[in-house]
Amino acid sequence: MRLEIRDLGVELRSREILKNVTLKLEEGEILSILGPNGSGKSTLLRTIFGILKPLKGVVLFDGKRLEFDDIAKIAAYLPQEIPQTRLRVIDIVLLGRTPHLSGIRRAKKEDYEIALNALNEVGLRGFEERIFDELSGGEKQKVMLARLFAQEPRVMLLDEPTAHLDLSSQIEVMRLIKRRVENGCSAIIAMHDINLAATFSDKILMLKNGEVHRAGKAEDVITPESVREVYGVDVAVRKIGKSVIVIPVAKSSKNGIRVHVICGGGSGAEIIQTLVEAGYRVSAGVLNVLDSDWEIATELGCEVVSEAPFSDISDENHEKNLKMVEEADFVILANLSIGRGNLKNLIAANLAAKLGKLIVVERSEIRSRNFAGEMAEKIYSEISSKSIIVKNESEILNAIRDLAGRLPKGRGFVN
Amino acid sequence: MLLVKFAKTAALLLACAISLILGISFGPAGFIDFKDPLMQTVVLDYRLPRVLLAMLVGASLASAGCAMQAFFRNPLADPYILGVSSAASVGAALVISLGIGSTWNIVISAFITSLIVSFTVYRLGRHGESYAVLLAGIAVSSFLSGLTAIIIYFSQQSAHEIIFWIMGSFSRAVWQKIWLIIIPFFIGITYLLLNSWNLNAILLGEEHARSVGINVERFRKELIAVTSLLTSATVAVCGIIGFVGIIVPHTMRLIFGEAHQRLLPSAILFGATLMPLVDLLARTCTSGEIPVGAMTAILGSPFFLYILKRGL
Repeated sequence: MRLEIRDLGVELRSREILKNVTLKLEEGEILSILGPNGSGKSTLLRTIFGILKPLKGVVLFDGKRLEFDDIAKIAAYLPQEIPQTRLRVIDIVLLGRTPHLSGIRRAKKEDYEIALNALNEVGLRGFEERIFDELSGGEKQKVMLARLFAQEPRVMLLDEPTAHLDLSSQIEVMRLIKRRVENGCSAIIAMHDINLAATFSDKILMLKNGEVHRAGKAEDVITPESVREVYGVDVAVRKIGKSVIVIPVAKSSKNGIRVHVICGGGSGAEIIQTLVEAGYRVSAGVLNVLDSDWEIATELGCEVVSEAPFSDISDENHEKNLKMVEEADFVILANLSIGRGNLKNLIAANLAAKLGKLIVVERSEIRSRNFAGEMAEKIYSEISSKSIIVKNESEILNAIRDLAGRLPKGRGFVN
Repeated sequence: MLLVKFAKTAALLLACAISLILGISFGPAGFIDFKDPLMQTVVLDYRLPRVLLAMLVGASLASAGCAMQAFFRNPLADPYILGVSSAASVGAALVISLGIGSTWNIVISAFITSLIVSFTVYRLGRHGESYAVLLAGIAVSSFLSGLTAIIIYFSQQSAHEIIFWIMGSFSRAVWQKIWLIIIPFFIGITYLLLNSWNLNAILLGEEHARSVGINVERFRKELIAVTSLLTSATVAVCGIIGFVGIIVPHTMRLIFGEAHQRLLPSAILFGATLMPLVDLLARTCTSGEIPVGAMTAILGSPFFLYILKRGL
């Protein structure tokens, strides 16, 4: 079954809830709808199911418009709220047969069989006579899924099916949905959990204030920028296989103070993390792609001047780095090893020192980590004479605070 | 399994029959004796219509209560608590005081007022917590009971009349009243029995009922109409009798479970069993007659509190 939604607009109590929503769903696909509370996720599902009448636009099942009574025969909708009832499990699963029973509704033998198969499918065979209210949260949601399956839908519409469930139940529920979809169905799922959505969906649609903000594959849709625009929070996005994972980053910008970190070879990882957590806008460079510092910096969503793997710093990237140094409020030179390839980083640090905004992290003597000859050592000693020398991350934070004049001029932290 | 189910149903039918026999066997005029022509008159003209009326009223109130509990998703919903009974009594009292109180006028007027109040209470209580609808019902029903008393007071009826409408009684049972209630009764229970499946669905909540393709808006209107019809017919023939709609469905839930395919028929039968027995107690335990509504209130209130304590 092919589901197509064109230019959908919905109003509730003369408030516009959905605007120009367009989407397509093929058989065998899972589409997750992401978006903050009130972005119109539930409204979209209810409109597709025919509970709400759109003001404009159409919902087409295999190219056809359907009435509410007919939609339930091919689409099944799972509301968000898990019901409270002392009905037996079998009574609830049988309710899935409702659209297929006309006139006086009574379950026939074949309906019982379908209901039992659905219970089997969710792994709850033998639960028929149990009282719904006495089940665990995960079991309850699986019973509701069985009800959905008993409806024999071609399209499933699920409103936050994993809300309030523990981790194993969340994954189990998503797997059951996925398996059903693979056997010839499709699903639209309203979700809050971006990671779960990215893992299980073929497509993602991000809603913001009732409009489609972005739609497409998870890796294209879920980016630090889109998450910031839609949810208003800063996150780092890391790709794992064909899925992505979103990692929250501490609330950004201490009045937008920018800190540029010159590092490499793992010398900057902890510094970058500390600074990001403390809320500074962090950039880094020049770093070779796949360097461990590069990985951390990109994961945490920092701006990075990147050089090709195992290559010397090009003039072009050096220029970019110098520009970042100029734009930054503070520059940190990590305890990095100096070689011919990254000597330009030391020159960039020298610029920062001249501008009086350099903090040097010195854990070990420069002699032990200099492989670029005497020249480098000379530059380094020139740099250190004009900058603040610190030993660890907490001293960095103190030094920045001091320099930023946030705290009364402290003593003891700065050498 | 099947045997147990059968035994439960058989026991219920037996109880219903015993209730009928006991009801016509005892009374202030003494134990039944068919050789005595006077006793024949007592049984056929007084006891039998009275017991049958009690059965119909009990069944009507029990099934209305059962449907309301599903519909409001509240175990304490019932025609009396939600003010539907009081509304019907205002309607009845109004036409009586205006001097146009023919039996059908009473039923129609009672039906209209209870319909209005049902919709009002539903509107007031639908969005709040589960107790919101109860509080709305209690407020509306106190208001309406007061109104009934005032209407009857100004129409210069006796105090006994007021008590009859506020605390129901079967003391004026005649065959004519049975003909009056039997049509609404059959319409009501037929509708509910045919919609047992949908009642199960609505028990999960309106959104879940919609999600299996039930036209909730229409079903809701029909349910309000049917429960109002059942309630107003009982009030028109015997005044307000409270708590039957709570006691009966809850007792049956313990035995037959929550699914309406079994709950509803059993509640109808048990309502028809319990009501004549309570009435028998009301008319025989003292030399006079206690209003049966007082008896059900005394039995029902502790039941109400028990359910409240167990948690809504």
